Amino acid sequence: MLHETRRGVAEVVACSAEATVLGISPGMPLAEVAAIPSATSNFPGEQGSAKRVQGSGFRVQTGKFTANAHGQRPVGEQLVGKTPMATPQPAILPYDPPADREALETLAERCGRFSPMVAMEDAATPDSLLLDVTGLAHLFGGEISLAEKIVEDFHCNGLIARVAIADTIGTAWAVAHFSSSWGRPSSSFLVVPPGESLAALRPLPIEALRLPEKVVDLLHQLGVDRIEQLEALPRRELSSRFGPELLRRWDQAIGRLAEPVPAHQPTPEFRADWSPPQPTARKETIEAALEQLIRQVVATLIRSDRGVVRLECRLDGSGALPEDLTVGLFEPSVSAKHLFQLVQLHLERVRLRAPVSAVHVAAAVTAPLIHRQQAMFFCGDGNDSSRQRSRQLAALVDRLSSRLGRRAVVRARIVSDAQPELAWQRDPLLQGLRRRRRRKSLPADLPPRPLRLLRRPIALPATSIVPDGPPLRFHLGRHEHEVTHTWGPERIETGWWRGRTVGRDYYRIETATGRRFWLFRRLRDGRWFLHGTYE
Amino acid sequence: MENRPEKSIQVAQLRRQITRLEQGRPCGDEAPIPSGCGPLDRLLPERGFRRGTLTEWLADGAGSGVETLALGAAAAACRDGRALVVLDRRGEFYPPAAARLGIELQNLIVVYAAGKADHAWALDQALRCPGVAAVLAWPEELDGRSFRRLQLAVEESDGLGLLIRPSAARHEPSWADVRLLVEPLPAVPEGNGRRQLRIHLLRCRGGIDGRSVDVEIDDETRTVHLAPRLAAATAHRRTAGA
Repeated sequence: MLHETRRGVAEVVACSAEATVLGISPGMPLAEVAAIPSATSNFPGEQGSAKRVQGSGFRVQTGKFTANAHGQRPVGEQLVGKTPMATPQPAILPYDPPADREALETLAERCGRFSPMVAMEDAATPDSLLLDVTGLAHLFGGEISLAEKIVEDFHCNGLIARVAIADTIGTAWAVAHFSSSWGRPSSSFLVVPPGESLAALRPLPIEALRLPEKVVDLLHQLGVDRIEQLEALPRRELSSRFGPELLRRWDQAIGRLAEPVPAHQPTPEFRADWSPPQPTARKETIEAALEQLIRQVVATLIRSDRGVVRLECRLDGSGALPEDLTVGLFEPSVSAKHLFQLVQLHLERVRLRAPVSAVHVAAAVTAPLIHRQQAMFFCGDGNDSSRQRSRQLAALVDRLSSRLGRRAVVRARIVSDAQPELAWQRDPLLQGLRRRRRRKSLPADLPPRPLRLLRRPIALPATSIVPDGPPLRFHLGRHEHEVTHTWGPERIETGWWRGRTVGRDYYRIETATGRRFWLFRRLRDGRWFLHGTYE
Repeated sequence: MENRPEKSIQVAQLRRQITRLEQGRPCGDEAPIPSGCGPLDRLLPERGFRRGTLTEWLADGAGSGVETLALGAAAAACRDGRALVVLDRRGEFYPPAAARLGIELQNLIVVYAAGKADHAWALDQALRCPGVAAVLAWPEELDGRSFRRLQLAVEESDGLGLLIRPSAARHEPSWADVRLLVEPLPAVPEGNGRRQLRIHLLRCRGGIDGRSVDVEIDDETRTVHLAPRLAAATAHRRTAGA
């Protein structure tokens, strides 16, 4: 693999184990590879033209902060080419920075097992990973053991890593890239003891300071090749002669200046966009686009084993406010069909104000699929058909909530409150279903409650014989009801802490025609109200 | 003498087959859903409601007790752990009371669909879902076509659709398997505070229409049984010749 250095010399970026056997190593100029007899047959013709062989070289870097590693990507099959059994003939492929970066990202995610803070080096073509391992080493049995484990983990992946652990990112990076000990066969990691950053840096070339090319060239012209030489120069003049970057990097390396770790966020974005050639108002086109985009988003989600919990779709109109079609789900889903149906339900109710110029679909909230459907409703046998049915029920909840609104599809939860209308709560099914609350039930000794509870008690013209006794007759609508049986009173006095004291005497009553109602007399003024009916 | 029980089993099987053929559904031996009300079960040819059917409950005025009976059937249907969906139009359904009637609140989904179109759509969706054991709804207007559609929807899921309607609907065409009219009766002195209801079986596929039964509900123990005075006066039961 090749690497185009600053001076236009092609050099190897990464190579496979087989290539290593042939004597090729990363950092080797391409011209030297050409000199190896068995490697020459596939050698690209234009030697001078800068080419990078595909594959990637990266270094992982952490310190007290970071270890730093250098990976050699085994692009075995590419290097060995089509004749793997006989004398292997390396294939030399051009370097592909985006692919390199992607591979490094994957590795960064993998490194999450060693540190919660993994970052990619902040450079145009990053080749190092930075791991903040402050205070973590003891979990792995010390820094040396940690470094060993990282090297081993990379090795299992077929990668050779250089790991350096140092007090600062700068030192770790410098040591990982330029330490002279890498040439020796046994070395795969280096640990710079605390406080010895400067000592470790001194013998290294000035390139190890992550400086711009121009500054490095200038320093070389002045005969400054090593960091220890730089140290001897008066600090005041460094900035004015070489620019602020030199001092910044220098200070970062020796820990005089803090350097943030640009943490790599492993959760990728799940989104897809589409713009029609011309703005369109045709719903069929928009639906087709939505369906396609949802399928794309779901495909990426499946790969990371996650499901959509909230899907945001946006239709950008020319000159109008974007139309928002957001659907929430009862449980994570990766069914493109189901998601599309939910969006469609939404779209049906939308009147487009302007032709649509762009369609965006994004999975705004996702959740791991592993916990899919743990018997939210079916505690029973848990066999296939019941699981199937519960999935269909979840789909129903999604559809209902999508069209009617989240708050319109609820589960009832009994709350201990004496006031009847506050004795239960509506828990939207689309949220919080995972946190199960302790189930309560109404105290069994309470008198029966009516199946219908009016949202607002209706004031009734009623008469009673005894001043504090049950009612005798009352009017409801056009009907006059004669009370023949009463049960009660059940006195409920509560709510003073809410600022609305409730004092009521409830009576269950039966009328002459056998109908049953729940009435109360307000203690404050003795007025009668109908609060519920025993349907 | 010995083959008498055999005969009755055969008759029951044949009857079930006939109804299946009538409905154009595959022959199955699924057990019916008990109505949660023994005396009512005895009026029904299969001793319960068939799965995948609609049941109409007609009643007039408030406080009639019809929902208590319908929820009894819903509780029986949900015993397999599937869900009960209640489509509440007016926001007056009171789950704590339903819990007392044996409804497991974990299995209860209350849906607020106020608009007519939304309500009809939600009803159709809920009936169609195999994860739903029973749907309780108060559809306002139901023309023949949408009624038929609901019936087809519930056939898909093997659930039970419980439609509560005003008694004026008795003259409208129906696609329900069973149509019941519930009337409250004045309490009787020996009733001991239990509420008295009369259930008319207006229509029943494969059964004998026009019979009625009086039941009493004990609010405290939540049990439904035959009203004693009518247990004696078997005027309606005489017609049950089979």
